[in-house]
Amino acid sequence: MESMALHQETAYERLYRWTQGECRLLSSDSVEVSPLLCQAVQALQDRPVLFRYSLDEFGTARRTAVVRGFIDALTRGGPGGTPRPIELHSHDPLRYVGDMLAWLHQASASEKEHLQGLVKLATQQAGALQIYEILGHITEGVCRPFKVRVEQVLVSEPGPVILYKLANLLKFYHHTIGQLLGSDAVLLTTLAEVHELSQRMFYAALNAHAQRLMEKVELPPADLGATQSLNQSLALLREVLASHDSSVVPLDARQEDFAKVLSCVLDPLLQMCAVSASKLNPADMGVYMVNCIYAMQSTLALYEFTDQRLEMLAGQIEAHLDTIVSEQASYVLSRTGLSHIYSIIQQHQLKEGPLASIHGMDATTVRSAMSKFDSYLSSPDSLTMPQLNFLQSTSLRRTVHKRSTELVSAAYDFLYQAITNPSNGYKEPRSIVIRTPQQVKTLLS
Amino acid sequence: MAAGPYNYSYIFKYIIIGDMGVGKSCLLHQFTEKKFMADCPHTIGVEFGTRIIEVSGQKIKLQIWDTAGQERFRAVTRSYYRGAAGALMVYDITRRSTYNHLSSWLTDARNLTNPNTVIFLIGNKSDLEAQRDVTYEEAKQFADENGLMFLEASAKTGDNVEDAFLETARKIYQNIQDGSLDLNAAESGVQHKPSTGGRPNPLNTDQQPSNEGCRC
Repeated sequence: MESMALHQETAYERLYRWTQGECRLLSSDSVEVSPLLCQAVQALQDRPVLFRYSLDEFGTARRTAVVRGFIDALTRGGPGGTPRPIELHSHDPLRYVGDMLAWLHQASASEKEHLQGLVKLATQQAGALQIYEILGHITEGVCRPFKVRVEQVLVSEPGPVILYKLANLLKFYHHTIGQLLGSDAVLLTTLAEVHELSQRMFYAALNAHAQRLMEKVELPPADLGATQSLNQSLALLREVLASHDSSVVPLDARQEDFAKVLSCVLDPLLQMCAVSASKLNPADMGVYMVNCIYAMQSTLALYEFTDQRLEMLAGQIEAHLDTIVSEQASYVLSRTGLSHIYSIIQQHQLKEGPLASIHGMDATTVRSAMSKFDSYLSSPDSLTMPQLNFLQSTSLRRTVHKRSTELVSAAYDFLYQAITNPSNGYKEPRSIVIRTPQQVKTLLS
Repeated sequence: MAAGPYNYSYIFKYIIIGDMGVGKSCLLHQFTEKKFMADCPHTIGVEFGTRIIEVSGQKIKLQIWDTAGQERFRAVTRSYYRGAAGALMVYDITRRSTYNHLSSWLTDARNLTNPNTVIFLIGNKSDLEAQRDVTYEEAKQFADENGLMFLEASAKTGDNVEDAFLETARKIYQNIQDGSLDLNAAESGVQHKPSTGGRPNPLNTDQQPSNEGCRC
């Protein structure tokens, strides 16, 4: 009985040696897991240690093969040079990295199949965990050569747009290859690392761009339009957003870093515009800021996930429009001489006596201001602030026109009520204020 | 006891290309599972399937990479042409636009694969005869002019699907037999050639583990 056991152990030992030898030979590109080898692995299940050693041997052989295959694909290419070596495209970062990733994806899939073929019959011992472990080992060797190359690409400053596309590509493959390997495979860790690095480099490139903007702020141009640096930055943003749009990363993941990209670009831009506008008078500043923000708005409006930002920008435009509207209204009132009269009436108190007796409020003066106002009514466009013509959006220009004339007619209404009020002592008030507020409103609308 | 389906002599790598919605994934599914997959979702990036077939008594494992047709994946899918022994280029016989795009797919295939890659043109959805938008003769002429093999097939009924995949394999195998395909070349190469079951085992050693190692 004892010698039987001894014989059995010797047999296992021999089987193991043979299996080990067979596995070692599987280090070429092509693998054939022979039926005999499958059976041997199946038999070795009864000796878990020997079984494990055999799989390790297989893993090591395949690991060598994968590394060699990868290096060959990078530097030598296929037979007669087709397909061409991947490194031939190293000047084109997306293609270079993309080809490497596709190679790794395909190699991972093939290796998984080989391994599954090997343990096909060994159903008791080969659990998913063990397969993932061996697979992780097989794909570990390529990590270094891969990582070094990707890092080289990333630090060569390919610009924010390329960096952004690379980050998306790496993320995509982390997901794709992740479906084949166990979650703790070193290859996946490597992919996560280079993805993170690419993302960091991308944001660093955006920040560097923003920094340059703030370093030399351009003065607003004479037409109060967007500055060159604003247009350039928006072109960059557009390019990033466009590649975001076509990116291979699933929707929710994209939305996530979208807010970050937008604030990375827009916040410094808004700041830059505010700084560059700081020396302008209120009307110029209002028009300039509206033009700038309007340019940002039109850029964003074409892309997904920008609603929140657009709302914020709309709010800012609104605030600047208020300034422009009141500037335009006071422009009309002061050009017609009504603003002086308006403020006197506003400050007038009963104890000072009737309005008509106050200096500068006699019927003649008021009548002459009113006649100027009347000529404005006959051609309202004659009293448009020159800045308004620089407002690039025609719909905003219309808004300003509408709201400022409303302010003007409200002011007229106020004057009309005061002058027609008998207690203010004007004789024949209707000869001073010829038009009713309703007429003015109609004329201006 | 035979060790199941793992004793194949060759692995051929295929790639399936063509416009979105022409039925690439359905063809693959029909071929590997012998079933029609209705409501097939859009392929994300690249997926793959395998099946072992027999050509001239040789067991051949087909490793088939099914690519996404959506334009946004073009940059990704282009990287999968490398080392494909066969390329199945698919259009939809009921949508002319998918046929019109063939020349762009063919350009990609020619530029990104090697000269020996067998390109097979498949006009899918042949079951929808009533909605046909591209005639058989027209496509046949296009295939002839460009030296492509050609069949109309239906992933739905399974008609001609098997033939398209097998014909491609036969052609590749024929190329190997007459020597126009070099199997000893490095890289994922044209296709893998596992040492065949028929030959004596020592042949396994024809490729020594090299110590080229990783130069990085």
